[in-house]
Amino acid sequence: MRTYENIFIVHPDVAGDELTAVIDKYRQILTDQGGTVLKVDNWGTRTLAYLVKKQSQGTYVQVIFEAPPSAIAELERRMRIDEAVIKFQTVMLEGGFEAPAEEAVAEEAAAETAEESTEA
Amino acid sequence: MADARRSGGPRRRYSRRKVCRFCADKSLTIDYKDVRTLRNFLTERGKIVPRRISGSCAEHQRKLTAAIKRGRNIALLPFTASHSLD
Repeated sequence: MRTYENIFIVHPDVAGDELTAVIDKYRQILTDQGGTVLKVDNWGTRTLAYLVKKQSQGTYVQVIFEAPPSAIAELERRMRIDEAVIKFQTVMLEGGFEAPAEEAVAEEAAAETAEESTEA
Repeated sequence: MADARRSGGPRRRYSRRKVCRFCADKSLTIDYKDVRTLRNFLTERGKIVPRRISGSCAEHQRKLTAAIKRGRNIALLPFTASHSLD
């Protein structure tokens, strides 16, 4: 299975328990579709570079996961329907995902790829 | 004066040798989530700075372009100068 990274922006009014519920919902969808969630990172509320659905702010959530292609289709379909998610983007991580620093995985070090999965 | 210019080649223009930042420092990576680095390669209007100005090499300019476009897509970077919000 390939490794993907999805970043989605949650409506700024959705916070606290509702936000955790939204995140858990998508985590659940991924596992139901036969994927493995490797990392979930909530970046908190940020100012958007431009208005999205008339919002100037949004909560960024980054999810790194391994999943079959069908899972991506389902995930994105659900996000498109969901009012709480105002924008999302899924990107394939060509180099796979390495746990931040610590042990560098040897087989992935050989990859000559453009994509970097190391965290900023 | 005019003669000197014609025969003596172009007027001396100050040009520091531009070096690609990403080639000079191999530890730097291009990542669309790294807004702070990518901002350096955008003009005030949000346009991508051309290679002849930024001095990036072809390979890294390509990767930069791709990263900036991804960043724009997810609202981390602007497509244009900030829209007036009023």
